Formats: sequence, C-alpha cells, structure tokens
Amino acid sequence: MLSRRSFLADSATALGSIALVNLLGTDRLLANRPNIQPDRPFAPRESHHLAKAKNVVVIFCAGAVSQLETWDYKPELIKHDGQPLKDGPAVTFQGPAGNLARPQYRFRQRGQTGKWVSDLIPHLAELTDDIAFIHSLTSKSNTHGPAENFLSTGTPLDGFPSLGAWVSYALGSENQNLPAYVAIPDPRGVPQNGSNNWGPGFLPAAFQGTPLSSKEAIRHLSPPRVTAESDLAARTLLQRMNERHLQQNPGDFKLAARIASYELAARMQLSVPEITNLDTEPAHILKSYGADDESNPIRAAFARNCILARRLIESGVRFVQLFNGAYASGGELNWDGHNKLKEQYDKHAAVLDQPTAALITDMKSRGLLDETLIVWCTEFGRMPFFQKGAKGRDHNPDGFTCWLTGAGVKPGVSHGSTDALGQKAVEDVQPLYDFNATILHLLGLDHERLTFEHNGIERRLTNVEGHVIREILSA
Amino acid sequence: MFRVLALSGLALCTQLAVSAASVDFVRDVRPIFQQYCYSCHGATQQKSGLRLDIKSEALKGGGGYGPSILAGNASESPLIELVTHDDADSRMPPEGQGPSAVEIATLERWIDEGAIWPDGVDLATLEDRLDHWSFKPVSDPEVPAVDGSDWPRGTIDRFVLARLEQEGLIPAPPADAVAWLRRVTLDLTGLPPTGKDVSEFLRALKDREAAYSAVVDRLLKSPRYGERWAQHWLDVVRYADTHGFEVNTERPQAWPYRDYVIAAMNDDTPYDRFIKEQIVGDATGEDAATGFLVTASVLLPGQIGRDGPSMRLARQDALDEIVNNIGHTFLGLSVGCARCHDHKFDPISAKDYYSMQSFVAGVEYKEREMHSRQAEASRKEADSLRQRMAEIDKQLIRFVPFARPRSERNAEALVSETNTSVDAQALARDLSLRQVVSPSVNIDCFAPVTAKRLRFTVLATNSLEPCIDELEVFNTAGENIAISNLGTTVTTSGDTTVANRHERRFINDGEYGNSRSWMSNAVGKGWVELEFTEEHEITRVMWGRDREEKFKDRLASEYRIEVASGEDWRLVADSTDRLPPSAATKESTPFRVSKLDNDEKQEANRLLEEKQGLHAKIKSAERGQIAFAGTFRKPDDIHVLARGDPERPQQPVVPAVLSAFGDVALPDETAEQQRREALALWIASAENPLTARVMANRIWQGHFGIGIVETANDFGRNGAKPSHPELLDWLAQELIRSGWSIKHMHRLIVLSATYRQSTAQNMIAASKDADARLLWRYPSRRLEAEAIRDCMLAVSGQLNLTTGGPGFNLFKQRGGLSGFTPIESFTDDGLRRMIYAHKVRRERDAVFGAFDCPDAGQSTPRRIESTTPIQALNLLNSRFTIDQAEAFAERVQAEVGEDVSEQIRHAYWIALSREPMHDEIIDAEPIVRQHGLATLGRALFNSSEFLFFP
Repeated sequence: MLSRRSFLADSATALGSIALVNLLGTDRLLANRPNIQPDRPFAPRESHHLAKAKNVVVIFCAGAVSQLETWDYKPELIKHDGQPLKDGPAVTFQGPAGNLARPQYRFRQRGQTGKWVSDLIPHLAELTDDIAFIHSLTSKSNTHGPAENFLSTGTPLDGFPSLGAWVSYALGSENQNLPAYVAIPDPRGVPQNGSNNWGPGFLPAAFQGTPLSSKEAIRHLSPPRVTAESDLAARTLLQRMNERHLQQNPGDFKLAARIASYELAARMQLSVPEITNLDTEPAHILKSYGADDESNPIRAAFARNCILARRLIESGVRFVQLFNGAYASGGELNWDGHNKLKEQYDKHAAVLDQPTAALITDMKSRGLLDETLIVWCTEFGRMPFFQKGAKGRDHNPDGFTCWLTGAGVKPGVSHGSTDALGQKAVEDVQPLYDFNATILHLLGLDHERLTFEHNGIERRLTNVEGHVIREILSA
Repeated sequence: MFRVLALSGLALCTQLAVSAASVDFVRDVRPIFQQYCYSCHGATQQKSGLRLDIKSEALKGGGGYGPSILAGNASESPLIELVTHDDADSRMPPEGQGPSAVEIATLERWIDEGAIWPDGVDLATLEDRLDHWSFKPVSDPEVPAVDGSDWPRGTIDRFVLARLEQEGLIPAPPADAVAWLRRVTLDLTGLPPTGKDVSEFLRALKDREAAYSAVVDRLLKSPRYGERWAQHWLDVVRYADTHGFEVNTERPQAWPYRDYVIAAMNDDTPYDRFIKEQIVGDATGEDAATGFLVTASVLLPGQIGRDGPSMRLARQDALDEIVNNIGHTFLGLSVGCARCHDHKFDPISAKDYYSMQSFVAGVEYKEREMHSRQAEASRKEADSLRQRMAEIDKQLIRFVPFARPRSERNAEALVSETNTSVDAQALARDLSLRQVVSPSVNIDCFAPVTAKRLRFTVLATNSLEPCIDELEVFNTAGENIAISNLGTTVTTSGDTTVANRHERRFINDGEYGNSRSWMSNAVGKGWVELEFTEEHEITRVMWGRDREEKFKDRLASEYRIEVASGEDWRLVADSTDRLPPSAATKESTPFRVSKLDNDEKQEANRLLEEKQGLHAKIKSAERGQIAFAGTFRKPDDIHVLARGDPERPQQPVVPAVLSAFGDVALPDETAEQQRREALALWIASAENPLTARVMANRIWQGHFGIGIVETANDFGRNGAKPSHPELLDWLAQELIRSGWSIKHMHRLIVLSATYRQSTAQNMIAASKDADARLLWRYPSRRLEAEAIRDCMLAVSGQLNLTTGGPGFNLFKQRGGLSGFTPIESFTDDGLRRMIYAHKVRRERDAVFGAFDCPDAGQSTPRRIESTTPIQALNLLNSRFTIDQAEAFAERVQAEVGEDVSEQIRHAYWIALSREPMHDEIIDAEPIVRQHGLATLGRALFNSSEFLFFP
C-alpha cells in the first residue's frame, strides 16, 4: 500500500513532472507559468533573473498624499501663493478650482544629498540619503477607487490580481508556516476598495493577501467551544479519514495536496500567534516606533503594525503590504485633504512619520534591507491650487511622488520632475506601470514574462505597458 | 492631417538621376521598404495598423490614415508625405537615417507609374484570421467507429472512445452505482443525495437503466437544479449585489436578475430565448433578464469627477463592460481587446468594437420598473396599501399633542432640561411630556401659523454631526410644502457632503433613509432653513434621522423649530417638552399611547396594529417591482476612439456586428430597443458559429470541471484548442436540434458511459494525459465554495430551502466603503443556499471565499481549484463549521438514538452516502464516546471524500 509520506515525496518528482505533460498543445499557456506544486503552493520558486530583493514591504498611503506638502519642493509655488493658475483647469475632480496655494509646511534641505523635504514628516526626512524618489509618476484615474486599483493591481478595474498576489504566485515564500503574502490594514479601517488591494483576482486563491494586523489576528486559528483534547481528536480522526481515502484513490494529486494543506494549517496555528505577539520586543524598540506612546493610540497601533511588518519579513514572508490610511471620510481617516488639508495632515503625519521611519531604520540596522525592498506609495497626487472656497487640494493623477529604498535601490537619488508648480510630470514621466515593472524587476521578475491567461488574454501586472526605471537601480 | 508639401522641385531634380526604365517593385521598391519600414510595418509589428510587406495590406493602409499608397498620385499619397515630412518629429522613419532623395524619387515614380505590385512576389503571407476552427460553421461530424463497441452508451461515448483509442488509452471502469448517484446529484443540484434517495435508487436498480434515467428526471425537475446551474452562469456574468469600486454601495435591486436566471434554468428556457431575454427582455415582458447588461462594477454619478474627461471616461468604461460581457458570455470572444487597438489575434478591429458599443449605447446602469403582469398587479396592490397607510397616518396625527416650546411655558418648571436628578421612571410618568426624540420619525404639531420660512436648529446630538434624512412641513390642507419640487429652497449652517449619501438637497427631496440625507459640518449642531415659494398656514413638522431605521447615531436630541413670515422669527416647537432619552419607554410611536384616554387608546392601538400589518404587506408587494436591469434612452453617438481615449474621437460608427462574422449593420437612426433586438437576433442564431459551441462547452464544463475548450470565455485564436473538436460540434448541433434545451444536454451527458466512469487513477494514462483531458477517467475535482456550504447545511439538517428575493447577509454591512465584518453564526435566512447570499463585490465570504469563490470583479469562466492552509483553517475552525457539526450531531442522535455505532453508521450514511467500513467504526467509536458526535461531524465536513465529487 502506498504510504502518504512516500506519495508526497514522489509527487514532487514523478507526478510533478507529468503534470506538465499535455496532449493538447496548450503548452503555450504554460510556458510562462511558474511551476506550482499543488501540495506546496508557497514553496519558493526561481525568479526570472538574479533578484536584488527577496522580500518587499509596501507602505501604502491611502487617500492620495499631497506631493506638495511632502517630497516635491516647489519654490515657485510659494512665490505664486494666492494667485490664479494661468490656463489651469476650471473644474477638477471635485469641482471648481481656486487659487494657487503654497505648501502648507516649511521645506528644508536634509542629509548629504541636501534633498528638500517638508517639516510634515521630520523622521522620514532624515532618511532621504537612502531613498530613491520618483517625482514624475502618473496614474490612469483621478478617482480613488480605480486609482487604488491601478496602484495595487495595475488596472483601474475591479477584480485583477494584486501586486502581492503576482509576486507570491511567481516566487512562493521562504517560510512555509506563514502566509506568503500578508496585508496589514490601518488601525482606522480598510483602504478604499478594501480587499481588492490584496485580492488574487483571477489567480488561484492561494496567492491572495491574508489580512493580519496587531489588532486582528488571522481568522479561524482556533475553533470556538471546542476543547484542546477534542480538537486533537477531530484532527486525528480527519487525518485517518483522508489518508484512507487517498489510499483508495492512489496517485490523486489533489487529495495529497489537501492533506498537506491541513499540515500547513496546523503549523500556521502555532507560528501566527508567535509572530503577532509583540511582548518579546524590548522596550527601546517599542519606544523607537512609538508603539508605547498611548497618548496617540492610532499611532501606537500603526507602530505595532510596523513592528509586525518587520517580524514578518524577518520570518521570511515574501510580501507585506502595510496600509496607512483608511476609507473615504472627507479626509478624516486618510490622506484625502480636500477641505482642511493642514489640519488633517497634522494628524495623519503624526501617525505615519515616526513608526515608518523607525521601521526602515530598524530593518536597516538588522541588515534586513540587504534583501528587502521598501516601497512607499500613494494612488495619486494633489493639485497646486486649493479648491474654490476650501483649504485643501483636489485629486491630481498627472504628477506625483512615490519612493523606494532598500535592496537594489540606488540611494539618494531623485528621478523625474513635475513642472515648476508641481502640477504635471514633465521630465522622465513614468506611468505607474513603470513603477510596478521596477518593483518586479528588483524581485528578479520580468514584468513581460510574468503572465496568467484569463479570458483570452495573457494578463500581466503591467498590461501592455511598463518600462523598468533603471535610473533608480543600484549598480 | 498632413501638410501637402511642395515637392515638385525635389521631384524634378531627382528624376534626372533615375533611369528612364520603369520602376520594378521587387528590384527597386521593396529593398527600400525593407531597409526603412519593415521593422515597424512588417511581419512582427504593424504600427498604426500599417503593414508594407504584403500587397493587400499595404494597399489597404493603416488604421487611422486610410490607404497610404494612391496609385498614380505620389504627391497625394500619405506614404510619400510621411517620408518627406519637413517636421522631423512627424517624418518616417522616426529613428535612424531615412531614405535618400534618390530612394524617395524611386518611390514617387513607382506610385506615379501606377504602384504596380505584382501578385505572388511577396515574401510573407498574410495569415487568414478567419481560418480558425470556431469561426467556421458548426460541422455535422460523422460519428466515429470504435473498437471497444460494448462500452459506448451513446454518441458522446463514441467520440470520446475514438480519441482514447487513438492514444492507446482505455476508459476507467464504471463508478459504482451510488458513486454515480452522489456525483450526479451534487452535479445537477449542488446537494448530496439524501439517505432516502440512495435507498430508493438501490431498490430501483433491478431495472438497471430505468433507475438511472429516473434519477436524472427527478433531479432536473427539482428547483434545486436551477439554484445550482444558475451559479455557473452568474460566475460568467460576474453578478453581484453591490456596485463595486471604492464606495461599493449596495445594489439592492440586483437580485431579480439572479432569480430570473434560476427560474430560466428550472424552466429549461430555450437557450436562444435565454440570450434574447438578457439582451432585450424589456421587449417581451422579461424585464429582470436585462439585469445581464448591467452586472458590472460601475462608478456612481457622485464618484465620477466633475470634469468632462472623467465623465466621458466613466461612460466609456461602463459601455465597455457591457460589450465585454456580451462578447465573453455568448460568443466566447475577448472583444474588449479591440478597445485600444485592433485585436492582436482575432479578426476584430477597433471599428468592430465600437460598432458593437453602438448597439448598447443607450443603456444606463440604473434601476427600472418591471412591467410583467405580476409586477403590475403587485404595484397596484402596493399603491392601494400605501393609500390606506397614508389615511391611517392622517388619523394618527390627531393623537399627537401640540408642542409647548419653552417660550410658551415660561412660568412652568422646565423639568426635562433643569431637573436631571429626577429619576427616569418618575419622568416617564409625567404625562405632560411629549414622546422622546426618535431616530426614525418625529412629529411636531402646533396651532396653525403663517410662515414663509422655517428654521430647524439642532442644539445637541446623541453623537457626532447631526444628520436628518427628511424635513417635511405640512400646511393645514395636509400637504408637504417643504418638498424641493414645489420650489422650496434650502440654506444651512454648513454641510458634510458625501456624494449620493449626504447632500444638502437630500433634506427635502422626498426620499427617506441615511443614503438620502443631510449632514451638518459641525459636531452636535447645525441648522437648516427652508424658504417656501409663498406663505402657508402650517401646522406640523415631521423629521427623522433615518426612517429606514438602520441608523440611530447623529440624532438631534435637542432642537428648536422657528418660523417667520417677515423678519421676526417665532418659536413653534422645541425639544424641551419631550421626554429625555434616559426616560424612553418601550413605545416607539411618535406620540405616547399611554397618555391617551381609554377610547383613544383603543382606537390608536387598532390603527397602529393595522399599520404594522400594512407595512409588511407593502414590503412584500414592493418586492420585484424594481430591478437593477438598466434603463434605456437615446443612444450616445459612438466614435472609434484613438487608443481607446475618449478625448480622441475618430470616425463615427453605426451599430454593426463583428464584420468578420456577419453583415448586420443598422442605420444611425435605429431606435434603442431595435438595436439590441438586432444584436440579440444575430447572436441567438443557429447560424452563428460561436453561440451554440460556446454554450455546449459551458454545459460540458459544468459536468466535468473543465470544458472541451479549456478557455470557456475565449474561443478565439488565442484560446485553447478543443480536446474533442468533433464532439463539441456534435454537442452544439444537438443543442440546436433539441430546440436549445439545456436539460436535454444534461441528460445526454450524465447518462453517458464517459460520465459514469470512476475516478480511478491510471499511471500509464496519467503519464500521457495528466489532467485526464481525454477523459480516460472521471476527472477528480473538489466541490465549489457554495456547494460545500450548501452540503454542510443539508447534512446538518439546517438547510433553509426558501427561494428567491433579497439575499441574506454574509457580512454585517450590505455595502459601503468602511470594510465588511463577517457574520459568524447564521440562523433562519442565513441558512439558505449560498446563491441567495447578498453578494458583496470583491469581498469573499470569510469561510468559503478561500475556496476560489469568485469575487464578481471580472468574469470567471471556470473556477480555479486551489488548495490552501487558509481553507483548512476556515473549514476546521469557523463558527459555521462548529455550529453545523453540533446540529449534525443532534440530527443523528434524534434519528437513531444513543447507540454509538448506530450513530456512526448513520453519520456516514448521511454525509457520505455509504456505510462506514469496519476500520472506520473502530477509528471513530472511542472519539465519539469521549468527545461526542459533533467531533465526528467536524471531521466528516473536512474529509476529502465529503469535499470531492466521487
């Protein structure tokens, strides 16, 4: 009788190879696909080329952070404060345009590179020597929903695989006891489009992001109303049932994969509580992130999420998406500063700044940035003028800033630029496709080769677009 | 477009250099093309749609420019203009050295001499994009001869066996009878056979064949069949009960389309009619069917930018979704690829794509009143019920006491505001106080007063900024004069605007509920002022926070109502004479019944009771009167858009079918409905090579987990090739022959020897065809998410078989942007079949979503089957599983009593349709004794045998 162990061992070789045999000439569909072992969907897989980065943390700022209040220094805008923008649009996303408005925070030069960064984010501003800024990104939509889809999934439409899903589909994960891809929602709530930002789209569900935060653990880690003894009894019984069933259906890969998935689940039950338990973090670490400061409970909760992100990466999780900012709320819960930009940004930056900066510094000091890419991004930028009758800026998909740091990234560069007032990208214009192509490239993936056939189209994260932004890659 | 250049001088001097012999294409011209043009306009690339290495293509020209070579007229030929353009940015080729003056002169002479391009000299051949199996008429294939002549039960089997024999493979032995019964029951109804089904079948088996077909007849007649097979269809059309995108608002009237699909399946609506109804059911009284047109995610008006480009793009996206849905679903073509450029693989041009858009360019994503006879009848009924309701409300008004605002009571003790130490019960007994402020509706009555303006001022709230869903002001004739369509205008202290939810205009728009309400911009305060078109004698104000009774926050707990006809304001009502919230009683009426005398009380109670009954009746009569099935208006003018960009319209188009497949084209003035009718007729035709094939394949896929064509939404040249092309054609013909009966196809398939095979592995066959695409066995596959949930409920005895209507909740929210909290424990409605769940787009069910349940973002032609640890955690540990395991235990115990081995036997029988083996009883017994039957149930629900088709 075939034992399950030996079957599983064989399956990787014997059945694994015949699974590719195909009489029907659909090899074209398989040519570009990673070879996924059904019983080990998260097994690490080869990249297309030598990867500079093995893991990623994406810090996703929902609501569209104003480039003009943060990273994109525009002295001309200070000069023209209060004046109308000549030949500017009369109406933008939310309504009539008002006059040009100076940045609401003072800019200063920072670090060796002398990069101008605003006082809104003093901790992050200290890190500019390590960062590669892209000041000339453009989006395809000026509406949060489609634009966050575009940033997360490469298309403004609903239902496409997220960047993290593509990456875990392509590369699997180093740690088999944790999900390959973890999404950490903001303590204030989910971003716009919710789980579409970490959804699998049409990729197998195995590759979706698993939401997990310091506030909320993975669901269904343990059963309600069941004692440990009877839990163990049920699993033992189940295991016998499934092994017997496999013996009666020898060679059925799917059945073997199911058994393996229960084993993986059991390991996950042990490792997830371990990873989310921050009690083992020393006091100075908690302090450096701001996780101990209960005077700002939102910051403390976000800081704990940042620590969690580091711990996940330390454990070999492939892709961590860390959200800062929640859903549409008139700018109260995210970066959507239409009306009271300064008032709201003061609050939001206090949450973002110190914990995020501590995350990067902490990871750097532990050597994690040698293999980890950190991405800071937002779905689009904001207009150089205020909205009529308001103290805030409207949506602007034509020129905004995101940045990268860590493995494979050239430190201390600023790539591309917007016009003198920061309205439109004019130099080295990079659609977000390029941004995504660059992230994949750093992970050793060719965005044109990472495909999945769906509804007659070899889908890619970058559709039919995308150019790697080589100027920000380290040598 | 191009500037015509004065080139005569250049032409003149170069002519001198060229020999007098006439230009030869192969010798003189092609080398120039090869050197300068083919890298962008040859075999590998055809930029701007121009290809210069094949005669027919070169003379046709490129997409945006028309013919580039005008024989006999070099100076007018775009080709010459482009290579001689004086603007370097526009000149071809864009990079590198261009053709020399001599070479240009050669080209000019060649064109002027008639652009002679001999036939048969081209080095490349044009691939015929129409030369593709699925674009050819459906054949009438000959049924093949086979060696193993005792195996086939029908034609299907002959096709399958012939293919197996070709590869030297043999079919698997048949599955045992009960395995087939379980398989076919799961397959046709999504539920396991009951114990009774199994024993009856075993008894009937002595008649052998008749027993099988009797089962199939029974299953196809069961309403459970439609509930199962409609899900396959809803996957393809990405049906959901929310609008998608960031706000993901509820789409509360989407379900009539879902119910239509279920009914159409159950009625075996001929497939050609099924198509027509979904495209143009409004013409034949099948209103809900056109829900098909508007199943996609859509940006609601408030989410679209106010700028022109945003609005045009949103409209284009909305139309694109309709064209895609039609293309994928009925034709198996990815028509949408041609939105930005001619299709890369299939014979679909951008012009074809926009011509298709033109058929549906009058469709709007909106709710529509249904006009079926049933809808009309219940509408009438609802109207008369509402009339009665209004009468009752009028009669109830007389029990509402006049408000006595503070100014009128200056001498009295102001109990509610000053004396907070008085205990609540004592206050409640104070009958001089009016009813406590309610989140649903409040009535303030006062003696008639003349007013041109009315101001409602909020002084305090129970939380946050105040929100009011509607402010109504009644004159002495009982008419609401506040409503905006009478011209009443509104000013406020300031608004929190959330488009389509909280807007100033919603305060007097005549519509109730949080999603049509006004919200102040200040915490705990704000005012609204109404100005009527003329003076009125008013006597009553009605207002509420949310008359749909979902929200209780943001309630104006303290307020004043003032009126003015000239400059002076007069207080007519306020909250000071109302009971404070701490003293609220159980009464939820706008007045206090306890305050009335006995006669009044009796009368009021009678009316209130009747009102309650009416409320329920109205709700049920209103069901199904409206469906999110699209509205139809004068179609937009559609143009080809350069690169799909709405800001770059090119030539206008008329409604026309894909030019490679037909020549139906309608004049521009064709009315909206006629456009959709013409489209439906063309698709739902036996002559259309794709329609029947695509559906026959979907049916086959439903039964085997994978279609004869693996890419069920793509029968184009980029799609997978059919594993059994002749069989597919035979099935398509059979579908047409049967009068497009889907149930006929089910019967043929599930009774075939092919379907009756066991799932037994065969290493030799597997080494040739691992996925069993040639059907040397019944392919092993897991149940889908919905079937797993439904089966658990069926087995636990908890399944609620109520059909139709609004979906039950999987989440605490039915739509919205602030995240979805899963419901963990289900009762009543929540125990219905999962197809009746309120489907939140993009939000996968917390337990079953991990089983590759589609999220209705994009079309799902076939369910992927992945296996993940999250599935295991969900199915082992969710509250749902534990609840059902416990219910299962109770059921088993109730049915067989306390004997443990009997219980185990019965549990296996119910869950797996078989008796346990001796070893299995030995395994289970000590565990059941020690930990109870629920432990066995939990294991059974997680067992591979339970989760897989046998």
